[in-house]
Amino acid sequence: MKPPVHEEQGPATTLPVGSPAAVRGYLLLLARRHRAGFSAVVALHSVATLAGLVGPWVLGSLVESLATDTAGSAITVAVAWYLLALVAQAAFTGWSRMRGAVLGERVLADLREDFLVRSVALPTGVLERAGTGDLVSRGTTDVDRLDKSVREAVPELAVAVVSLLLVLGALLVTSPLLALTSLIGLPLLLATSRWYFRRAPQSYRNESAGYAAVNTVLAETVDAGRTVEALRLGDRRIGLTDRKLHEWLAWERYTMWLRTVWFPTIDAVYTSAVLATLLFGGLFTLKGWITVGQLTTGVLYAQMLTGPVDLILRWYDELQIGQASLARLVGVREVPEHEGDESARPDGRRVEARDVRFGYREGADVLHGISLDVAPGSRVALVGPSGAGKSTLGRLLAGIYAPGRGSVTLGGAALSRMPAERVRGEVALVNQEHHVFVGTLRDNLRLAAPDADDTELRAALDAVDAGAWVDALSEGLDTEVGSGGTSLTPPQAQQLALARLVLADPHTLVLDEATSLLDPRAARHLERSLSRVLEGRTVIAIAHRLHTAHDADVIAVVEGGRISEYGSHPELVAAGGPYAALWRSWRDER
Amino acid sequence: MPLTPLPLADPGSPDLSSPPAFLRWLRRSQRRGQLLATCWNLLEMGCQAALPIALGLGVQAAVDGDAGGIWRAGGLALLLAVGAALGAVMTHRQAVWNWIHAACQMRQLVSRQASELGAGLSRRIATGEVVAVGSGDVERIGWYVELIARVRSAVIVWLAVSSVVLVVEPVLGIGVLLGVPVLAASVWPLIGPFERRYEQQRALGGKATELAADTVAGLRVLRGIGGEELFLERYRAASQKVRAAAVRSARIWSLMQAQQVLLPGLFVVGVTWYGARLAARGELAVGTLIAVYGATAFLAAPLRILGEAAHAWSVARVSAGRAVRVLSLERNGGAAEAAALTKPAKADLHDPASGLTARAGELTAVVCGDPDFAGALAERLGGHVPLAEGERGQPSVRLGGTELDAVPLAEARAAVLVHDKEPVLLSGTLAELFDIPSSGRVVPAEALAAARSEDVLEALVAGSPECAGDPMRARITERGRSLSGGQRQRLALARALLADPPVLVLDEPTSAVDAHTESRIATGLRETRAGRTTVVFATSPLLLDQADRVVLLQDGRVAAAGRHRDLMRTEQAYRAVVTRDEEAAQPVGEAV
Repeated sequence: MKPPVHEEQGPATTLPVGSPAAVRGYLLLLARRHRAGFSAVVALHSVATLAGLVGPWVLGSLVESLATDTAGSAITVAVAWYLLALVAQAAFTGWSRMRGAVLGERVLADLREDFLVRSVALPTGVLERAGTGDLVSRGTTDVDRLDKSVREAVPELAVAVVSLLLVLGALLVTSPLLALTSLIGLPLLLATSRWYFRRAPQSYRNESAGYAAVNTVLAETVDAGRTVEALRLGDRRIGLTDRKLHEWLAWERYTMWLRTVWFPTIDAVYTSAVLATLLFGGLFTLKGWITVGQLTTGVLYAQMLTGPVDLILRWYDELQIGQASLARLVGVREVPEHEGDESARPDGRRVEARDVRFGYREGADVLHGISLDVAPGSRVALVGPSGAGKSTLGRLLAGIYAPGRGSVTLGGAALSRMPAERVRGEVALVNQEHHVFVGTLRDNLRLAAPDADDTELRAALDAVDAGAWVDALSEGLDTEVGSGGTSLTPPQAQQLALARLVLADPHTLVLDEATSLLDPRAARHLERSLSRVLEGRTVIAIAHRLHTAHDADVIAVVEGGRISEYGSHPELVAAGGPYAALWRSWRDER
Repeated sequence: MPLTPLPLADPGSPDLSSPPAFLRWLRRSQRRGQLLATCWNLLEMGCQAALPIALGLGVQAAVDGDAGGIWRAGGLALLLAVGAALGAVMTHRQAVWNWIHAACQMRQLVSRQASELGAGLSRRIATGEVVAVGSGDVERIGWYVELIARVRSAVIVWLAVSSVVLVVEPVLGIGVLLGVPVLAASVWPLIGPFERRYEQQRALGGKATELAADTVAGLRVLRGIGGEELFLERYRAASQKVRAAAVRSARIWSLMQAQQVLLPGLFVVGVTWYGARLAARGELAVGTLIAVYGATAFLAAPLRILGEAAHAWSVARVSAGRAVRVLSLERNGGAAEAAALTKPAKADLHDPASGLTARAGELTAVVCGDPDFAGALAERLGGHVPLAEGERGQPSVRLGGTELDAVPLAEARAAVLVHDKEPVLLSGTLAELFDIPSSGRVVPAEALAAARSEDVLEALVAGSPECAGDPMRARITERGRSLSGGQRQRLALARALLADPPVLVLDEPTSAVDAHTESRIATGLRETRAGRTTVVFATSPLLLDQADRVVLLQDGRVAAAGRHRDLMRTEQAYRAVVTRDEEAAQPVGEAV
């Protein structure tokens, strides 16, 4: 059976996936961090397993004495030992499982917290390019998947390996001859395992990706319910889900086939262990090389190999999935951190772009030599048709991307070389993305200014015309918002983002269509009240509404990655170029 | 043994009368798979249970010094081992497939339900809940359904082993027969508390996951403005709470693990002690003692399955409850009478509540100071407005005199397409995005040109290297997040134009588009919709100027109508709304 091939491939992951070496390195790090806990689990479980070995030994000695007719009082004593060992086994099993769970939970907490620590340190440029979708799925789906692996699979596997080694050891002590014969199937196991491991990891990764893809389609269908209904896409969505199910199932079938080949060989290995011990052990007994008691104990030990091997089997899938998810979490660690040049300090507030060229891909420039000089405290509007490069220019001016050629400087220092924390003290960018965090309104505002008191928060809200609707909320600033709380409309969310900006109070602001979701009149009102608060700040506004341009000191018309017109509103209207024509048709002054 | 082909051509109509009934229905719809899994599992466990007999025979032969007996015992053991291995792998295949069958069937049901309810779904239930049913609940229910087959074989094996031992040694047999259920039941008192703690742990875990998702989704905001430490601390606190809760539930779980060793062990010890005394008295052969010991020790396996079943049942019942809730939702609003539309392209659209009329074949613009009212009206113009529970609808919109609410939903949607303020771009290639039911009169290139989307295509091609320069193969990510607001709006508009419905209602289709492009779209829209009925809610003069007729709404009623330029001259209120001169209009806070 060949692995399934699908024509369509989902969107590639936008962030790196950890290499096997990186995953190993991270696992080592975790192992070192939790060495004590891990040793305790292994030690406790070893005691439990050793206690479990007493039973077959007792039975062996009973058989021995029964066979030689010296039973009698020996039975009660032997059974008493058995009983004692059993109680110890149960107690230590419980204890080791408890320690195992505590350890597993610690490791899990480390994993998810480490991931988030690394995620929030990702450079903004990487986030802009990669988007947050992939990162969110790593932080939720992959962490959840690891949950089961770490909580159950790792302890169970550790336990299984310990048991396997101890039982083999016990066999060795009982009779080295029997121990040797029990290993008869080992070469077969090694051969098939090699075959299996070569194919399994990637297949399990694809299988879980296929499973998740079905959910993505389903979530989208639900989310876009209105659109689906309006465009009568219901049947197509059903068809798409069935197709995604089909792809997922193809992988399920393939991995099942891999197991169908591999599992029986494992069965064969432990079966051959039992068979060999029974057969050869029996013959050895006849020859008088070992006693009947040793034979009994040996056969029962050989049978005990089943348990651990089964456990390894049962949890192997889980570990495969866990490994794939871990690689995705570790991948975030491989994004190089933006170090920043401590010596890049701005001297003054003048923002200058000199002959800036920039493209998202090699050989496909979006900006073709833009020069722009923004005086401190001035208000610049960038206008122009969609796709002309306004937003890209805005991001360069906010220090999110470094120009391919040319320079973008703030007070003479290159913005892209400054550490992120310094940049945001100087320049802030607000775009159309309006995320409302889960928490109270106060939490949502305070992240920009942790020490702000309620009066300051209120003032910021008033500056963005949000005072009225916040007052109307029954709990005011304490209202829980975000997913699961009171839901804010997109315009309200946008006002919230602007209020944060007022609180953060950087001296230079880049507003990328920051009021586009408000209705036109409210937007204009907001912009005016905002401008009163932002008096003296440098504002670079990317605007699609002409009144924003009208209110600015300078307008730069961006077309095709170049600045085609530059000047104040009256100057441009007087010049009679494309801007003037547009303005007239907009104001209906024909 | 061939496995049932999946996905099913038709997932069937489930019994939703109660969660257990739903689980039963799922089980019944894979009867063959259940039977096969039971049989294979019987083979596996039967062979495993019988293996001690072979071992006993072998040891007995060794005691008796009978070499032939050892070979015979070895042969029997080999046979049983082969049977067990075959049974094991086939059970695994069938059980996993049964799990997949149930999961796949449920996911098909949920996807059909979601597609059927469409706009009605999100008004009644959170998106997250539907998705939870499609992922987590599906897994738990699948586990339970699959397990039932193994429970059956476990019970049969227990009865079989008991009866064999009963024949050999009645006292031991009765012990085995009664011991197993007693031991299985002894786990149950712990299951309740465990489930409660586990639920708590899961709830906290869900919250932590939500917090992580929330933080990461808003990461660009955090990175731009600060607050990472604040959020990290919040997440750490939540994560540690999960850890503490998990350790609490692990306490009971480890107790259950100890119990699973102790109780079956005591049973084996008892059997061994009794058997050994019989053997010492010569009433039981040594080989038989080993066989009985092995068989009782083996019974721990079916015992474990019974314990697992109790756990699976308590988990699956909750999940099935959720699934039943989602699957039994029905659409409210709009009666299902079978009125029919005649020539929808030649009919006027009339809303009795506001008095708005859009004439057939014309481009009508609607100006309204209150964007929320405009949105609600736009939705009503399509008929069949989904209602929240207990909500009452307004009188139906009429298309050529026929009430749209009285027309079957599909027909109403085919006649009138309402393009709302936030249309969703479904992810996939551009070709897939444009694969919609349409009249075929407008081709994608025309629609894209009318919506002035040249630069969107360039952005798409630049963003997906795998498309090799062909924009139709370029990929749109979820909700079109890689595109700007204006680009998304234009793609969505192009899609609506492509559908080319007899009546198209557009709500602020260009609100996020720059003025340069908006003016070009306005002419594109007019040309593409020539001769078709179009209603556009807008306030931009660039759009209004292209309309055949502009209607001004005030206080929910038609206040004026005419050409844009005439209204600009004659209607002060109209001028105020359209030129956005706040000085001329009333303050925004009081806007209606």
